[in-house]
Amino acid sequence: MTTRILTVSTLKMFVRNKQSLFFTLFMPFIFIGIFGLIGFDKPQVIDVGVVAQAPSAMTQTFIDALGKISVFKIHRGTAATEKAALQKGDRDAVFILPNDLMPNPTTTSAPVTQTVTVLQNIARAQQAQTAITILNQLLDKTTLQAAQAPTLFNVDIQSVNAKSVKYIDFLVPGIVAMSVMQMAVFSVAFVFTDYKEKGILKRLLATPMKPQQFVAAQVMTRLLVAIVQTFILLLFGMLIFHTHVYGSWLLIFLLVLLGALMFLGLGFTISGIAKTVDAVPAIANIVVFPMMFLSGIFFPTSSMPAWLQKIVTYLPLQPFATALRNVVANGDGFMAIRTNLLWMTGWAIVLITLAVFTFRFEEKRV
Amino acid sequence: MTDAIIKVTDLKKVYGEFTAVDGVTFEVRQGETFGILGPNGAGKTTTMEMMEGLKMMSSGSVILDGKSVAKHVREVKSIIGVQLQASSFFDYLSLKELVETFGALYGQKVDAMELLREVQLEEKAKSQVKELSGGQKQRLSIAVALVNKPKVVFLDEPTTGLDPQARRNLWDLIGIIKKRGVTIVITTHYMEEAEVLCDRIAIMDHAKIIALDTPLNLLKLADGGATIEFHINKPIDVAGLKGLPGVDDAKSEDHVVFLKSKVPALALPAVFTFAQQAGVTIQNLQMQQPTLEDVFLKLTGRRLRE
Ligand SMILES: Nc1ncnc2c1ncn2[C@@H]1O[C@H](COP(=O)(O)OP(=O)(O)O)[C@@H](O)[C@H]1O
Ligand SMILES: [Mg+2]
Repeated sequence: MTTRILTVSTLKMFVRNKQSLFFTLFMPFIFIGIFGLIGFDKPQVIDVGVVAQAPSAMTQTFIDALGKISVFKIHRGTAATEKAALQKGDRDAVFILPNDLMPNPTTTSAPVTQTVTVLQNIARAQQAQTAITILNQLLDKTTLQAAQAPTLFNVDIQSVNAKSVKYIDFLVPGIVAMSVMQMAVFSVAFVFTDYKEKGILKRLLATPMKPQQFVAAQVMTRLLVAIVQTFILLLFGMLIFHTHVYGSWLLIFLLVLLGALMFLGLGFTISGIAKTVDAVPAIANIVVFPMMFLSGIFFPTSSMPAWLQKIVTYLPLQPFATALRNVVANGDGFMAIRTNLLWMTGWAIVLITLAVFTFRFEEKRV
Repeated sequence: MTDAIIKVTDLKKVYGEFTAVDGVTFEVRQGETFGILGPNGAGKTTTMEMMEGLKMMSSGSVILDGKSVAKHVREVKSIIGVQLQASSFFDYLSLKELVETFGALYGQKVDAMELLREVQLEEKAKSQVKELSGGQKQRLSIAVALVNKPKVVFLDEPTTGLDPQARRNLWDLIGIIKKRGVTIVITTHYMEEAEVLCDRIAIMDHAKIIALDTPLNLLKLADGGATIEFHINKPIDVAGLKGLPGVDDAKSEDHVVFLKSKVPALALPAVFTFAQQAGVTIQNLQMQQPTLEDVFLKLTGRRLRE
């Protein structure tokens, strides 16, 4: 009876605490909303500056052909203005074309090699590179045509309907994993340090209650919250952004329970280390922030340097987020995510053990 | 004494080099209100928390209701009620929910409203702790200490920091609990509080108990007796006053007379008769009984509060 009533009271306290609710629901709502609305799925546009003072008719045709390429947005200007625009970051690449880039088919003189100068924006190297590749292809094709060589290859592109995994499908499960982490770490770290500082834990010790009962009630409350939180956030994604849950809900909840356990261990460890509530955010953020940004929550880790990817793979959030994403967005089953589950179990054991050693309910026995 | 509910024997608490409680021995009788009076840092809280099973004892023993606190902590905790010197309660719970939650910690269902009514917090049942005044917080703290219908209630400086009105209010409440036959152990550094509330008082200083007795007997230790002070309309024969029965000493300054008397009941009528015969009118008479403050001063050479 004691544990049941304690759990109910703890749940009431959790729900009435605005700070916990912020980490649990409000912040993930905002993240999903903002990143969902930015919509990284829209085709990317590459801003290309084209400089050609007085292009010949054929060169102008070539420039028009460039303009027909859908990813290009063509800006015309002088070498000086376009270079300035590039420096400002408004261009990804600038092509400087000689006026008679294209040979005039009516002239019979032997064609000369023309040089196109490309200025690329290093800060947007990926886009610049794409622009250069397309330019090269276009020029090659023209060369072949001019040489009247036969076409040897033809690429036939067919569209096939696939399970469409959009950015938002990638994002939502990651945000769920992240917010379960935030909830578990912060709600425990803040609340228990506060109880310790205010002498509430001492007051509890003056009753015949076993400390384990109190901790059990706190843990059970958080596990319940994690389940409800996951459900609400996934539902939010489905209703507002038309995301899908392809995998089994049961597996999702099991994953979330394991993830929450792992981070509850971390939360208790932090409140074991922190002497005052003021120290909690400092300690917690050192641990939580790197994981938040490096564990592939917002962007795939493949865009990070290899060594960093390696490190991050072993931090607790990454296997959790990856497994959750694979189940939610990919419909993976238990066997497909077992390596991640193994890592999570390992972390859960390590963090809970750490919590047992650092967290003291009772006063140090002097 | 056979009716002792608590027996404290040679209790000691050592923090490294520092001895916070240095071998105290005393008994608390069934149903009495037992005070521990002493200045800040005397070791009152440490003594009490060892009795409550909250702090480990360095040596010595506490037997409460026949059970050793060191060996049977949980049984002892279930029959005592505790108000800590500095403790707050959960936020985000109403007082009613809070009292019920604490009941659950004792494995008991409690009538929270009834308890809150007893401490006059009924109309605050739906409020949260942060909305309470200092006095109300202390009353809540007492209500929570009573959830398990304890045999012994420990109150650690329950009125420190309260205004006089709230303090008197709390004294009344403690009086009601006492009337029910609950044994109360209370610490304080207000001698007036100890005098009003306690059946017996242990005076503690520098980790030791330096005196233990009923307030009346303790007051006898301050052997100066009462001070009587009055105004007169014309000079009076001071030597004659000194010779009166019950008067130990007399002096006069301006139009004010100061007398010392161990038996004011004898001295006062004699003084009035003497003045009447001399044709002197007595005005503004005040009498100051010795206080525990004087006792403490006498025992230690220091004032209780500095
Ligand atoms: N955990 C501790 N470590 C070291 N010294 C302590 C500790 N707790 C209390 N003390 C010291 O023990 C002495 C008695 O403290 P306490 O029992 O709280 O006094 P009181 O309640 O009479 O004001 C004080 O000098 C205090 O500083
Ligand atoms: Mg104290």
